[in-house]
Amino acid sequence: MKSIRRIYALLIATIIASILYLYNGVSTTHTKLIENLEKIFVLQAGQFAENIEEELKHHIDMNEDLYSYLKRRPTLRKELEHTLSALVTPSFKYVYVLYRDKRGKYRYLLDGSKEDKGLFDQKLDVDKEKWNRCYDTGRDQVLTQKDLEGLWITYLKPILYEGRVHGVIAIDFSTGLPATIAKATRPLENIFLYIFVAIGILLLILLYQTILNIRTKKESIIDPLTSTYNRNFLRDFLKSINPARYQIMMVDIDHFKKINDNFGHKAGDLILREVAEAIKKELREKDRVIRFGGEEFLIFLYREKQECSAAKIISNRLKESIEKRVFTYENMPIHITVSIGIASHPEHFKSVPDAIKHADEMLYIAKREGRNKIVFDKNQSSARVDEKRTIGEVKEALEDGRIVCHYQPIIDLTSGKTVKYEALVRMVDKEGQIVSPYFFLESIAYTNIYTDLTKQVLQIVFQQIKTNRIPISINLNLSDILDNMIYMIILDEIKENLELAEWLIIELLENEHHATIDILKERLLELKSYGVKIAIDDFGSGFSNFSIFQDLPIDILKIDGSLIKDVDNSKIAYSITESITLFAKKLEIETVAEFIHSEEILRIVKSLGIENGQGFHLGKPAETISLDKTPIKQASEISA
Amino acid sequence: MKKLLFILVTALVLSASALEKERRIYRTILTAIFPDKQIIHVWLDNPKKREIFEKIDRVKVVKNHKDADILILYKSFDIPTDDKIVFADGYLVFEHYKNKLVGGFYWQKGRPNLVFIKKNLKSHDIKLPESLREYIEDGM
Repeated sequence: MKSIRRIYALLIATIIASILYLYNGVSTTHTKLIENLEKIFVLQAGQFAENIEEELKHHIDMNEDLYSYLKRRPTLRKELEHTLSALVTPSFKYVYVLYRDKRGKYRYLLDGSKEDKGLFDQKLDVDKEKWNRCYDTGRDQVLTQKDLEGLWITYLKPILYEGRVHGVIAIDFSTGLPATIAKATRPLENIFLYIFVAIGILLLILLYQTILNIRTKKESIIDPLTSTYNRNFLRDFLKSINPARYQIMMVDIDHFKKINDNFGHKAGDLILREVAEAIKKELREKDRVIRFGGEEFLIFLYREKQECSAAKIISNRLKESIEKRVFTYENMPIHITVSIGIASHPEHFKSVPDAIKHADEMLYIAKREGRNKIVFDKNQSSARVDEKRTIGEVKEALEDGRIVCHYQPIIDLTSGKTVKYEALVRMVDKEGQIVSPYFFLESIAYTNIYTDLTKQVLQIVFQQIKTNRIPISINLNLSDILDNMIYMIILDEIKENLELAEWLIIELLENEHHATIDILKERLLELKSYGVKIAIDDFGSGFSNFSIFQDLPIDILKIDGSLIKDVDNSKIAYSITESITLFAKKLEIETVAEFIHSEEILRIVKSLGIENGQGFHLGKPAETISLDKTPIKQASEISA
Repeated sequence: MKKLLFILVTALVLSASALEKERRIYRTILTAIFPDKQIIHVWLDNPKKREIFEKIDRVKVVKNHKDADILILYKSFDIPTDDKIVFADGYLVFEHYKNKLVGGFYWQKGRPNLVFIKKNLKSHDIKLPESLREYIEDGM
């Protein structure tokens, strides 16, 4: 593109230079033509003057003083003036002879001019310096003078006799040549004038177009609502940036939909504008902010060095400033917060879009963990970042049958027997390494691959149930039940394994509020109608809500590991666990304590009356289910 | 149209230049003839030349020749000059009043010509500065 521009510039410069060269050629020719033609006239004047000199010398005795000789002979003067007048033409207007008196003044001897005629001995004021040069050197002189009528040339010829100048023959002429030639060459010069005007107009149009293009380009890369850059800008920006020079921040306005729903779209627009302003206020000159989605802003923070705290400082400042600020729409205060995900080392990714995706994933985590949060990946080593698996890798694993389940036993705390298992999904990579779901679930969330994965896990679990005839639980999100596609797959798999469905337990993770509780209830009841049991997972943390038991048909309550692991040294954890257990007993809901990692925890949990337990202390997840193996903890041991 | 404009502008510039040249010459002449006079009253018979004189310092153009300190004649051949200082503004008038006028200024063959007549200068007791003495003619 640059080389094409250079060729254009070179072409234009060549055309202009050629035209200037031609114009200069015409002007020079014009000037030379005038000079040459005037030389001809001067030559002619010189010949006239020579003839006059000869004529004078023929009639005058040059041994005598010229002035005295002619003064005495008025008739001769008249005759000679008549002769001179024969040379007078519209071009050769004045033909006359002067002499220099003793005081250095020039006076007429003869004047053949038909108008403006001088009398004998009358003074004529002339350019003495130049006339004296003719008189003193005895050489012909050509003088030029300009007046109202144009350019005049005076040809001076000294009348020489025996080495002395007796007088000067003067011929004033005006050729009118410049005007005549100018008239002749004017059309040609006009052509150049028109070309210059045309080029000037073209350049002006070009300039206007360039300004217009710049303006249009600027408009095309600026989001009109927030005055930040848009995705068009991002596309070009990504082509030119060095990822080692930036940190990437993804900012999202929390619960933005609610603002639109409660206050209207105008309020939403106002919030977007003001948040964009707040972001810009925190940024530096070299930073770039892009409106990435509806209420999502992508920020590139410039850094000089590889290790840089800019993202940390700016994200904290931005989060706090927005949190503290009260936005006002039609006198109504609006409080908002933002969630921020950060990719602090984009250079560790295969491409900048991958780094952006990572920042987006961090944002997703921030959202999932309750919003108004910054998830900063600074502690993640590049190696760990590399462990994250792409959709393609997961898809390939599904196709190759490298999706497996590990099974963690759930023990009846009274008998000490394994009463069921929790299936935990794993991916086996091409090198045979086991990959935890942390490294691949996020990348496939909300994709068809996730749906396929769910189906495959169900098939694996039903196969295990069929083989071992023992209850196995799988983990799903509440949103999975609400997802029509996933729900249909679950139903299909259950219908295909109708006689095994009573051994299937679905553990639901409540990680967000759902307005569609009725649909959820309806679907869970349908699942239960096939004998499937429903467990609520990780209860006691995050979005746990007791009202869920009122709305949903829950069979099992799994107390969150974060409570159980502290139950031996935290009164609060103990009290909450105790309350949850009592509450479950009242509702006749089975309880499971997760994360039992020590004997002491096991003892407390049992004393609280929790029925079942799981954790590393009771049994680690294993690739297979071995019912013939001795229970990890004997009932007697547990009782003890 | 462009050509016409060019000729008009050139003519104006050149004519302005000729007028200015003439004004400078008359300023020198009048200052030389009346070196001590605060206001020089000038009478002209050529209204076209008023423009030249009105812009000269210390000069006032008068309507009646009797009120004038100097008569500058271009075309009048029957003006009673009395003992006024007379100056010719053309060669024909110069020739006509040669015995009375102190000098004349006229254009010949495109050249400005200035002449002062010695005996008439003397009769009016006018002493010209050194710079103008070369224009004094004896034998007229």
